Amino acid sequence: MKWLLLWIPLALVPAAVSNNVVLTVLIFTFILGILGVSFNLIFGFTGQLSLFHAAAFGLSAYATYLSMAHWGVSFWIGMATGVVFVTLISIVIGTICFRFKLKELYFAIVTLAFSELARLVILNWTSFTNGSLGINFTLTPTLWLPGRGVVPVAGTTMWYYLSLIAVALAVAFYSRILHSWMGRTFAAIRLNDALADTLGINVFRYKLICFIAGNAGAAVAGSLYAFYISYIDPHYFSVDQSLAIIAMALLGGREYVAAPIVGAFVLTALPHVINVNAEVRILIYGLILILSILLMPRGIVGSLVRRRRAA
Amino acid sequence: MLLEVRNLTKRFGGLTAVSDMSFSLAQGDIVGVFGPNGSGKTTLLNLISGVYLPTSGDLVWEGRRINGSKPHEIAEAGIVKTFQNPQLFGELSVFENVAIAGHLSLKRSAGWRRLATLLPRRSSDDELAPQIDRILRLCRLHELRDEAAASLSYGGEKMLGVAMALMCKPKLLLLDEPGSGLGHDEIANLDQVLRDLRDDGTTLCVIDHRVGFLGNLADRAIVIHHGAKIAEGTPEQVLREPAVIEAYLGRGYA
Repeated sequence: MKWLLLWIPLALVPAAVSNNVVLTVLIFTFILGILGVSFNLIFGFTGQLSLFHAAAFGLSAYATYLSMAHWGVSFWIGMATGVVFVTLISIVIGTICFRFKLKELYFAIVTLAFSELARLVILNWTSFTNGSLGINFTLTPTLWLPGRGVVPVAGTTMWYYLSLIAVALAVAFYSRILHSWMGRTFAAIRLNDALADTLGINVFRYKLICFIAGNAGAAVAGSLYAFYISYIDPHYFSVDQSLAIIAMALLGGREYVAAPIVGAFVLTALPHVINVNAEVRILIYGLILILSILLMPRGIVGSLVRRRRAA
Repeated sequence: MLLEVRNLTKRFGGLTAVSDMSFSLAQGDIVGVFGPNGSGKTTLLNLISGVYLPTSGDLVWEGRRINGSKPHEIAEAGIVKTFQNPQLFGELSVFENVAIAGHLSLKRSAGWRRLATLLPRRSSDDELAPQIDRILRLCRLHELRDEAAASLSYGGEKMLGVAMALMCKPKLLLLDEPGSGLGHDEIANLDQVLRDLRDDGTTLCVIDHRVGFLGNLADRAIVIHHGAKIAEGTPEQVLREPAVIEAYLGRGYA
């Protein structure tokens, strides 16, 4: 329960900080945090290294925008369309991978291949997606607020609260799953799937559920991210993005539901903190990542928790 | 008949590990499967529990053919197996190991209602914890409830394997050399646990190459050698059979 208290100071930040850079960094932290937390369900808790996560993020961003542009639906229906679309794709890819019992690097490579396939379709289907030029949005999400009616989501403060609530809901959703019998089932699959099988656990079914539930989180993050920056292009699907997601989980800590948000914060904030020219910045950025993973193999949250327990 | 094994054969390449084996198990039996090392005992259990597919022959469980079913389907049907080398979820506590094994119990008792336990303020542990504690007590593991499974002694690990199998509420429990590597006290403990189980109505099929422990426990014995059944009867009868003595001690003693 004490973890819940951590959300309160975050909710007060806009009142105390008027610096837009800080708030913007936090908005990206929250949205990318959803991506990291949902990835960690598949990777950290169930032990499947999926490289499809960036693709789920990107596909949902495109599906949200395109459904709004072509069908005239609201942002929230668009987001739901993105989630449903990603869920259907996840069922197909998950069924293929898990029926053939692909594990570890084989699973990683096949999901990477599907991810590249998705990227190439988006890149080359120019009439629909505008290819490598991407799409600049003219549409804005709207939101019903008590007392104010339907208002467009605009401005840093509003995005701050929207993304904060979204990440808090994501953490609540995934921690409910992980702290239930289903989370135990996922742990069983990660630790010894042959044993899980002989204990009557349908390993295929639970791997698929996990893959779908994780990708659905990526889909929500994709819709929010796209509309926050008002732009989509095939870079959403890049291998860089997949690697950044893995880095979030490793940096934050794989054993804690919300820890990848800390990883997302470090990845988002670092480029702003290292105030030197771009080439040197990338170098320092890389070094910090390597060192922190070497020195804190259990991630930032993992090391902090251990230190407190030891003290 | 609970389980009928009909002409079961398993070949790995040129090696016939189990050859044309037939026997049956009735409700409440404790059946011992004896045989020297390498005689095909573990392969037999792996065939029954669905880990291996039979090359030919049939497995009939409660009147229904089950060969070709996956291990989790066979476990759900009521046949659960323990491993010769204990298989555990090492990082997790003893309690959590048994809780994972409660998957089937929960599925049977709650069905789709399991999904409701994902909502806040409801936990599936409320339903499972009393069962888990009962089984840990039965297996004399209750004092180690919160220890990591990886920190248990070898005997403790084997006992935890039995506890996990029990949590699945099997109708037929297959035990692969449950006594191997155990000390004298641990064997006595295991013997008591298995007798308690039989009194509970669980059918047991135990394999072991050591005749002493199993001979006392089993009501009926099946002896296999080179993958084929060479004798069947009460343990005393079977141990007098020349073919069995020959398999264990060599031709000169038969």
